[in-house]
Amino acid sequence: MEPLLSLQEVAWRTPGGVEVFSGVSLEVRPGQVVWLSGPSGGGKSTLLRLMNRLLDPAAGEILFRGRPLSEWPPTGLRRRVALLSQVPVMLAGTVRDNLLLPFRLRAARGAQPPGDPRLRAALAELGLEGVGLEDRAAALSVGQQQRVAFARLLLMGPEVLLLDEPVAALDPHSGRRLEERVARAAAQGLAVVMVSHQPPRGLEAPPRHLVLEGGRLEEQP
Amino acid sequence: MSATPYIGYSQLALGLVFVLLAGGASLWLKLGLGREVLVGTLRTFGQLFLMGYVLVYVFSWRLPWLTLVLFAFMIFFAARIVARRVRGWGIPVFRPVFASMILSYMVVTFVVVAVVVQAEPWWEPRYFLPLGGMVVGNSMNAMALAIERLFSEVKNRRAEVELLLSLGAEPAEATAAMFAGAVRAGMIPSLNSMMGVGVVFLPGMMTGQILAGADPLLAIKYQIVVMLMLVGSTTLGSVVAVMLARRRLFTPALQLRAELAADSVQ
Repeated sequence: MEPLLSLQEVAWRTPGGVEVFSGVSLEVRPGQVVWLSGPSGGGKSTLLRLMNRLLDPAAGEILFRGRPLSEWPPTGLRRRVALLSQVPVMLAGTVRDNLLLPFRLRAARGAQPPGDPRLRAALAELGLEGVGLEDRAAALSVGQQQRVAFARLLLMGPEVLLLDEPVAALDPHSGRRLEERVARAAAQGLAVVMVSHQPPRGLEAPPRHLVLEGGRLEEQP
Repeated sequence: MSATPYIGYSQLALGLVFVLLAGGASLWLKLGLGREVLVGTLRTFGQLFLMGYVLVYVFSWRLPWLTLVLFAFMIFFAARIVARRVRGWGIPVFRPVFASMILSYMVVTFVVVAVVVQAEPWWEPRYFLPLGGMVVGNSMNAMALAIERLFSEVKNRRAEVELLLSLGAEPAEATAAMFAGAVRAGMIPSLNSMMGVGVVFLPGMMTGQILAGADPLLAIKYQIVVMLMLVGSTTLGSVVAVMLARRRLFTPALQLRAELAADSVQ
């Protein structure tokens, strides 16, 4: 199967010119889950932001479905290669407002926004049965916000999930449920790159494990 | 119209007493403002005398292109001042500021001179330049405030901006909330001055007309037009300037510029 996402000799430097990593190559195929770990400050989050094209690499190339990211319109690309940031960001308003946010943008023209039953189901499968669509999103705990943010991402219907420490703020049980949802997304053909300090335990098979350390990406046996 | 009392050069020199006061205070209190006092005084004399002579000729020649060129020249300097005030952000804004000033100040000044005052012809320098000058002088602060607010809001709320971008928002969608705050910051001072005018302060133009012997009721009518015109020009100027400056915050790939993006790598 053709890789959905492929990184070729990608490098990143800080605005000050300090090299954070280089020579990073990686292919992620549909249905594959890649677990990315490594010390803090090693550039894991940056790597995800490069794939979502919030940043451009200092060197090398990133391809989505065989075409360089620069050839895709940025707004459409970001909805297909979707990023969950490490710190969840909720906008003012209700949980419903936040879940429907991607459907309010011009890039969603023509897409039918999901109705309340689907929104409730999206929350329930992440263990958020107790959260109401009318609740103020900013009043939720960080762990709840993280899961609302993940549900928001899934509702958009992406093809690649870039997840930056999605379970760090969750209790073990909630974290496991989120990882089980990731496994189901992969089973449906999504490609997943997941940054985490802990090995994910909610997956059926152990994921491919890569470590970004000392400026290099190494595949773990 | 009664004649304005004449001010001779010796009387003008007497006005320097106030500057000596400032210079003395700087020396005595070690304010280190001696240079500013001196340069400021020289520039006030120089720039105003120069403008006075230029206006004498422009008023007597009455050439439309010369009037407009002079107005553009005033706008050019105003745009430079605004661009310098927001220079600290590292995002150059001279061109967007100049473009939005040319557009909005021309429109507002034209409407006031041609439609409200009904000067004949519409570019009559005696009306166009002083009224236009007031638009520029009073609205450029609004523009600087609006742009400054836009930059600081986007920097403070960059997580929100980047979230929206990451979900496929266009820059205008990702900064809609900050855009509104910036335009408000630009508009509020001119709205506030409508509240205090005539009670808290007497505006300079009205004072000048009254000193020149004009009927106070005519002077206030002009002043009302000027106040309304400033609300219009600060609104139009802030909206256009913020719209154009906002484009500078993003790369062609719709990424937030590094100057405003996260400072650290995680």
